[in-house]
Amino acid sequence: MSRASIVGAGMTTFGSHGAVALHELFAQAALPALDDAGVSQADVDALYLGNTSAAVSENDTHLGPKAAAQIGLTGVPTQRFEDACATSAMATKHAVHAIEAGIHDVVLVGGVERCTPQSGLSTPEMTKVFASAASRQYEQPVGLTFPGVFALMTKRHMHEYGTTKEHLADVAVKNHYHGSLNPRAQHGEEITRETVFEGPLIADPFHLYDCCPFSDGASAIVLVSDEYADSFDQPVDINGIGHASGGVPLAEQASVTMTQAARDAAGQAYDQADLTAEDVDFCEVHDCFTGAEILATEAVGLFEDGDGGPAASEGRTRLGGEVPVNPSGGLKAKGHPIGATGTAQLVELTDQLRGEAGDRQVDSPSVGLAHNLGGEAATTVVTLMEARA
Amino acid sequence: MSSELPDGWTDDTLTHAKWAEAVRVGTLLGQRCRSCDHVVATPKSVCVDCTGRELSTIELPTTGTVYSETTIEVTPVGQDDRYQVAIVDLGETRVLGQISGDVEIDDEVSLSGHVEYEGMPGPTFSPVE
Repeated sequence: MSRASIVGAGMTTFGSHGAVALHELFAQAALPALDDAGVSQADVDALYLGNTSAAVSENDTHLGPKAAAQIGLTGVPTQRFEDACATSAMATKHAVHAIEAGIHDVVLVGGVERCTPQSGLSTPEMTKVFASAASRQYEQPVGLTFPGVFALMTKRHMHEYGTTKEHLADVAVKNHYHGSLNPRAQHGEEITRETVFEGPLIADPFHLYDCCPFSDGASAIVLVSDEYADSFDQPVDINGIGHASGGVPLAEQASVTMTQAARDAAGQAYDQADLTAEDVDFCEVHDCFTGAEILATEAVGLFEDGDGGPAASEGRTRLGGEVPVNPSGGLKAKGHPIGATGTAQLVELTDQLRGEAGDRQVDSPSVGLAHNLGGEAATTVVTLMEARA
Repeated sequence: MSSELPDGWTDDTLTHAKWAEAVRVGTLLGQRCRSCDHVVATPKSVCVDCTGRELSTIELPTTGTVYSETTIEVTPVGQDDRYQVAIVDLGETRVLGQISGDVEIDDEVSLSGHVEYEGMPGPTFSPVE
């Protein structure tokens, strides 16, 4: 029995969306998700919406009712979630719990964000907005940024395990290749190791192409109860969704390479779904930076600690490899509109498990995993999905 | 009474304000749990290891070794254009600081001052020759 099932999925392209308002952008994902499920607004019991930064970046709050009104859902209960980059995975978790508890039967879940200069903010201004997820008192004054957070983690990983800049670049090369097969990706161009090495440094060891871009975009899923799912075409089941948090500030974490919250969240999800890492056919992980993908593939148990870098370089995580990682292109190439990323990962899992992923289709997958982290990996949600037999 | 402190707290309980005041005069304050001896470099309301409420404010060492580091080249508005930051291992805990100079992992560093950002200080470390 599933904890809840996805019966509709939609998302915008990720990239620059011009002068669109957040609630308008969300509609461009939400209406396709409702159409995909074949449900009308009258069938939807609630809206669970993720948005991370608009309170700071656009002076736009209370987005739930604004988004609901835009798509004809006025009157339904709605709530907005903020948990840094794990925002819409968190919305999904709460929607799953509400469905499982019998409170709602059909929930529209999604996220929306504007991070490109279209939001009105320059790169230094948006860098400051992103840094708000770091400790206000003990990290922001020192000047830590999010490329900096993951650079600190990655350089320690390189020191402890011998991970190399070539391993990092190979993650970017792979994800750009995957992105070139995804019409919704912000970066559809293929790159080489040299493209990465010749790019400007952002926070060493990360060059520009080790980093995900600033993106605008929205994503949405229609989530229903296990029982109700049978009346839909091609439901895809959420059989596990684990969630854990880690300590802030980063310096005091027992290990900065373990991302313990991800290990805890993955353990919960595997237990709930009665699966192990060996059952995972493909995954979407939170590759905000190339090093973050390596840490994530180790944390969810695909590879032993220290083997994540070599695995990427050996092609084991490429489409056609033993466990394709980020067939969508990931945050790196598909893009990362923060609050939309968690449900966008689930849109990809849905497309793949339905066999509808086109040129980037994984070969007959039955189990997909999504790993969505927030802040200094201090929030992580891991979701396991399976095609319904 | 609303003015009463929570169980286990005293007027000496370390807060960010007291920690910041110390950084500005060249001292790093932390906390040691009186039950389990766990040490942290930034003030908490309870021991993060055992949840004990009896925490002693302690002076942390001002020298340590670099646990990890990076040079930040794209910086937030209001910060300098380029600087190195490091997680410094002080033995029983670690703290984040900005680096004056150039360091690598395992280099020895010592507290050498502080930076100010939006009314809050951050410690600065320099390499030990």
